[in-house]
Amino acid sequence: MKPAAFEYFRASNAVQAVGLLQQYREAKILAGGQSLVPLMNFRLSRPSALVDISGITELARIVPTAHGLRLGALVRHQDLVDNPMVRETIPVLAEAAAHIGHWAVRNRGTVGGSLAHADPAAELPAVMVALGADIVVMDAEGERKIPARAFFVGFYTTTLGSDALIVAIEMPRPREPVGFYEVVRRHGDFALAGALVEAGESTGAVTWFGVTPAPVRMAWTALAEDEGLRRQQWERLTRDLDFAGDEAFRRPLAVTVAERAYQRARGGH
Amino acid sequence: MAEQAMRPQMMGARVARVEDPRLLTGQARFLDDIQVPGMLELAFVRSPYAAARILDIDTGKARKLPGVHDVLTFSDCPYRLWQRTEYQVGQPALADGGVFYVGEPVVAVVADNRYLAEDAAEAVRITYEPLTPVLEMRAAILEEPRRVHAGAENVFFHRSHRTPGFEQAFADAPLHLTATFRLNRQTAVSIEPRGTAALPDPASGRITVYASTQSPHRMRSDFSEIMEIPEHLLRIVVPEVGGGFGMKANTYPEDLVVVAAAIKLRRPVKWVSDRMESLLADVHARDDIHDVEVAFEPSGRIVAVRDHLMADGGAYPAYPFSGAVGETSLAARVLTGPYHIPHLATEIDCTYSNKMPLGAYRGVWGPVASFIQEGIVDRVARRLAKDPAEVRRVNMIRPEQFPYRNAAGAVYDPGSYGESLERALDLIGYEERRRLQRLARESGRYLGIGISAFVEPTAMASSEAGSIGYEACSLRIEPTGKVTAAMGLGPTGQGHETTMAQVIADQIGVDLQDIVVLHGDTDSAPFGGGTGGSRSGPIGGGAALVAGRQMGERLKTYAAHMLEASFDDIELGNGKAWVTGVPSRSVSIREIAEIAYTDVKRIPPGLPIGLELVARYLPTRSVSFSNGTHIAVVEVDPPTGLVSVIDYAVVNDCGQLINPTIVEGQIHGGVAQGVGAAILEALRYDDDGQLTTTSLMDYLLPQATDVPRMQIAHLVTPADGEGGMKGMGEGSLIASPAAIANAISDALEPFGVLVDTLPVTPRDIIRWTAQSGF
Ligand SMILES: Cc1cc2nc3c(=O)[nH]c(=O)nc-3n(C[C@H](O)[C@H](O)[C@H](O)COP(=O)(O)OP(=O)(O)OC[C@H]3O[C@@H](n4cnc5c(N)ncnc54)[C@H](O)[C@@H]3O)c2cc1C
Repeated sequence: MKPAAFEYFRASNAVQAVGLLQQYREAKILAGGQSLVPLMNFRLSRPSALVDISGITELARIVPTAHGLRLGALVRHQDLVDNPMVRETIPVLAEAAAHIGHWAVRNRGTVGGSLAHADPAAELPAVMVALGADIVVMDAEGERKIPARAFFVGFYTTTLGSDALIVAIEMPRPREPVGFYEVVRRHGDFALAGALVEAGESTGAVTWFGVTPAPVRMAWTALAEDEGLRRQQWERLTRDLDFAGDEAFRRPLAVTVAERAYQRARGGH
Repeated sequence: MAEQAMRPQMMGARVARVEDPRLLTGQARFLDDIQVPGMLELAFVRSPYAAARILDIDTGKARKLPGVHDVLTFSDCPYRLWQRTEYQVGQPALADGGVFYVGEPVVAVVADNRYLAEDAAEAVRITYEPLTPVLEMRAAILEEPRRVHAGAENVFFHRSHRTPGFEQAFADAPLHLTATFRLNRQTAVSIEPRGTAALPDPASGRITVYASTQSPHRMRSDFSEIMEIPEHLLRIVVPEVGGGFGMKANTYPEDLVVVAAAIKLRRPVKWVSDRMESLLADVHARDDIHDVEVAFEPSGRIVAVRDHLMADGGAYPAYPFSGAVGETSLAARVLTGPYHIPHLATEIDCTYSNKMPLGAYRGVWGPVASFIQEGIVDRVARRLAKDPAEVRRVNMIRPEQFPYRNAAGAVYDPGSYGESLERALDLIGYEERRRLQRLARESGRYLGIGISAFVEPTAMASSEAGSIGYEACSLRIEPTGKVTAAMGLGPTGQGHETTMAQVIADQIGVDLQDIVVLHGDTDSAPFGGGTGGSRSGPIGGGAALVAGRQMGERLKTYAAHMLEASFDDIELGNGKAWVTGVPSRSVSIREIAEIAYTDVKRIPPGLPIGLELVARYLPTRSVSFSNGTHIAVVEVDPPTGLVSVIDYAVVNDCGQLINPTIVEGQIHGGVAQGVGAAILEALRYDDDGQLTTTSLMDYLLPQATDVPRMQIAHLVTPADGEGGMKGMGEGSLIASPAAIANAISDALEPFGVLVDTLPVTPRDIIRWTAQSGF
């Protein structure tokens, strides 16, 4: 469990980091290291060089915008839990972040790292998809925005190029109450299944994670008041999900997490 | 009375552990802390195949890499575990022409450090010809798909037992049920992984092996016998050990390779297992299937049990004992647990497979037998619509039946079987719990209460940790009156430095802080069996007690002589000896020691110079049974399949307690492991024989928040051996998986669920309950 040899660079700004990615084709960004370093220790990932961005303080800011918040890529998970602006503006983001691993992991792990890593069971990608965030990336061509809903394409796969850097995430303030629910075998584990439900007066949407290769968002126009009928509706929505061959287990879980997230959005517990 | 007050009784006292300050402040030295100049590190190339022939091994490229000192294959290390023929096959230290499980050591690389060693390990080229792996027990018994070892039958251990009149009694009983129980593979996962460091000393020609093991003397014998290193040139030193749980009671192939490499290179060589290696290649445990048939009466009385016990022993018998044989043959001896079940028929098949060998994990046969026996009782209760507590009462061995010979022939010394059950029911508030359970069900919540009454065979005169039944203690009072004891135990966190000192302190009347207990060094300790099988308390403690008593007698002889009193009138305490009733007529132990070592002319006639002796203690009973009852309360959430253990009660009877705090710590840990065993931990091999659970992301251990608070009560039925102690290291993991499993069955009773597989996963619960309207 020792990594293969690699070169190490500490970038002092985003442009320099992108330059290093250009220069070393097999290079990888090192942010919080909470996913990358274990993979390297298993030798499942063997970058030729690491570009450490953890010293770029301007990437670690949370700033208010006209529509919501802009999170620097280096914002730590625990900052999302603790930051008053986040708790106030996008409470479900703070709530979801609290479910990531343990405190020690959250102190290091970063928003950008979580999105780039794109674990199908990770909380933050699902939050971004649910709320329609934009991911701001930088490469040799400059900066551009990728909608989160066009970013996650499958298991650990995104549309971010290998020479691109996530610099920030722009998140709108949710218009409707959003409920979050996930099932874990032990506190802090990656979710077996999870859902975010935006519950408007008549319309709404559910975003699932952990049950499919990437987060999936589905909208509805009418939802039953009766729980039994509502369950049937969730069940119908799950018919289009790709359960990756594990349907018997994942479908009932998907229904349960959707229903429980919905109840939370409606103020239940 | 005043004299009594002068002598604090250490036996039974809640003394703080002397080990804790160094452990809690990070000052303890574990194997990986052993560093000496010039030390090299070793890494293994392990088999990626479950079964394959090795066509070629090319080490050329690896040897040329910087910092690489040697690359070893079987020819450099031509040793086999099991040179005796019991099992027909013995694992080579490094693969010899073929591999038999994923993770088997094939090549060893020695380099300046672990990083370089792993780089070089990657550069070793091995050409394999894969074979069909043998992975399924029932098929293996039928020699399907093939034999694991060409020269040996897949069934490497077979035994059957039947009480006279079994068939008749079974047939005559009015009611019958059948069940198949399955325990999945688990392993100990000590926090500190295994490791070995060998340091040849060119000056003396001796070799010192630091090892994270439970059995220092056994390991010395193994190196000496297998590698033909003269025993007096070997020294085994066990540094602080961060958990063993039976898993560190073996001598492993890796140990032989490290020693061979150090001898070959004449350099200190160290290998420390990483977590992936630990999950792949620490002995596994609990891969069992039991096909059970039960005959019983409408009253709930169980008349006869038939069990076909199968265990998947893995590719080789672990050395020096196969866990499969332990888990089955000994389970068959305690399969009736604390119940009077007159008839038993058992048939055992242990098979080879292309998986990691099975060894010991805390409780070994006990958790297996308890899961079966407690599962049987709950099934009988369910069938008869009786309270599970009531069916236990009906079957429980009664006090007047002791000593009780069970249907397998094992003799139980007296215990508090019925009483422990009643106390545990009181402790948990059983009737009230049942009421709350009914209320909860009305609001759609599923609470369950699970009972597990257990017996714990301890202090076996021959245990898995060593083939010897006795333990030894050397005791020396130094010239200033301070005390040095040395024992061959191999503690892995149990606190022997504290408990053994407590036992000795009472016997020779010195303060605890004036005693040091040395262990785990074959140069200082008398030959001993090591730690395992819940033997260190009763047998090790017995040896310490005998040594202390003999030393106490010697001190009294001195005092009687010096104080001109009769031997019988001398009392020992607080570092002094005095005449009963006349505390002022006293002599300090320090003064006695001075005479014994320096003023030897004043030694009483007939006594030797010095204050030093070795005592050995062999219990007269071949095994002593602890007992108790655990009750778990769980809540199950059927839609998510999650189980939480919300309350827990333990009544434990291990005879005389040396230190209740330590006993309770053992119970806390065992119940935590029981939570893992019941709902989390499983080693899973896929259809190709690949282990898919090679990190702690996949092999789920209980976390602090998964472990319930426990109420613990002690009952004391003293053993008839020295000190009255029984063992208690394993009972908590023997009882807890069954308690939690039964609680889950109880919670899901409305769904008709009876748990038959451990661990119970969310997948199982969703499968059992999803059709029922959720
Ligand atoms: C014990 C444990 C439990 C965990 N539990 C959870 C959990 O429950 N839920 C969960 O979601 N996560 C969990 N994680 C993972 C954690 O959230 C990680 O922090 C996250 O997945 C990656 O973030 P990081 O900053 O550590 O990224 P790193 O590990 O540094 O990098 C991960 C990947 O992203 C790339 N990358 C990082 N930053 C950028 C960037 N700005 N631009 C482009 N590429 C980038 C890296 O090159 C690498 O490929 C857990 C981790 C551990 C160790």
